Amino acid sequence: MMIYLDYSATTPVHDEVLSTYVEVCKNFIGNPNSLHKLGVFAKRLIDASSSQIASILNIKSSEIIYTSGASESNNTAIKGICFRYQNRGKHIITTELEHSSIIAPLNYLQNLGFEVDFVHLDEHGRVDLEDLKRLIREDTILVSVCSVNSEVGVRQPLKEISQIVHQHSKCFFHSDVTQSIGKEKIDFSCLDLASFSAQKFFGMKGIGCLIKKQSILIEPIIHGGKSTTVFRSGTPPVALITSLAKALRLSYEDFEKKTEHVLQLHDYFMKRIRNLDVFVNSNSFCIPHIINFSLNQIQSETMLHALEEEDIYISTQTACSVGNYSRAVFAITKNKNRAMSSMRVSLSYLTTMEELDQFFTIFTKKLEKLSDLKSNVGK
Amino acid sequence: MKVIKIYAIWCSGCLVMNQVWDRILKKYPIETISLDYDLNEDEVKVYQPGNILPVFIFFHQNQEIGRIVGEKSEKEMISYMKEIGVLSDED
Repeated sequence: MMIYLDYSATTPVHDEVLSTYVEVCKNFIGNPNSLHKLGVFAKRLIDASSSQIASILNIKSSEIIYTSGASESNNTAIKGICFRYQNRGKHIITTELEHSSIIAPLNYLQNLGFEVDFVHLDEHGRVDLEDLKRLIREDTILVSVCSVNSEVGVRQPLKEISQIVHQHSKCFFHSDVTQSIGKEKIDFSCLDLASFSAQKFFGMKGIGCLIKKQSILIEPIIHGGKSTTVFRSGTPPVALITSLAKALRLSYEDFEKKTEHVLQLHDYFMKRIRNLDVFVNSNSFCIPHIINFSLNQIQSETMLHALEEEDIYISTQTACSVGNYSRAVFAITKNKNRAMSSMRVSLSYLTTMEELDQFFTIFTKKLEKLSDLKSNVGK
Repeated sequence: MKVIKIYAIWCSGCLVMNQVWDRILKKYPIETISLDYDLNEDEVKVYQPGNILPVFIFFHQNQEIGRIVGEKSEKEMISYMKEIGVLSDED
């Protein structure tokens, strides 16, 4: 039996989402920008999907920009704001917990003369609000903080951050909500821009959104025709957009029941993992879907492959660090050894208690075996 | 005297250290060769940077005399550079 515990990396596509995608591909062949009726039908389907997404997220349809995924959304938000508003200032604030698709555009902008500061985190890995207040300057134009970190799962206080940022009229607040959408209810009203991708909530890979308040302008990265918005050109992928709306609707269906199930799984997992020779890095501020822990004296990659042999799949760090070093774990634990040996288990409403039992049976055996090997080598 | 800096565009520590290094360079102009961890893969391999970035490798007469790995403050960098003789105490 395969045990997949890597839902924060990506999720399998929901059958109904896939059916919607195939159906739309077959039956809506028109370009939504064409004037003939095939185009009109396709355009209507996109509009209906946008209305559905807007209704679920409590935003306006006109605030949705469709992209190829969260990385493009993050790039579009960050570069778009910085290029558009650089006459106001060139200072940006972010955290150590961001995805590489935030850090890389910031590195790129730094080479163009922008200045980047990292806000301090408290002992739980949450943004130090007093430090944020200290860091915001007259020339700060953007603060970007993820809603939930992908490796450790820490939730950030978006509302409180927003209140601080919005005391400064020239500054915008962006959040990468990729790890919380579909898992948590998000208040988009406190965000100027938000990025996410459908593949994290049982949708298709290759489609995501940037939610942007109407009053804010951004410089597009991809120039061309109008598409669904002037901020991102390209023929709108009707089937992907429709499938995203479907996946989003399904992820918030029976939401309380699914959340309760994941909470039970999380509590059970924590109870069992604490009996083993590992350090738990996730804390009470983390979403229940993500549990991060570090191994004692064993390389996480070794364990990852040992579990893989048994058809069990978990993660080491996000696929964006060198080797096994996790910056997020280090930022929270301040412990290099733990940052070098961290592993992430990520759960979903599809996970079962039986899978966790099976996981622990095998994980415990592997842990003992690898610890023995390690101590024998040391002799 | 020269420095080889190994960095990656997706690395937040590199973002921090770029700013620190720029401040140091303004005070002490040192020849710096920047190598991108992904784009200059073959050259990077030669220096065995390990798994924490960025890495600053200091050379004197083409011999490595020391390296700084990861995030350090400007003060720590300067202190280390004095220790290995890249900077003198008068600097």
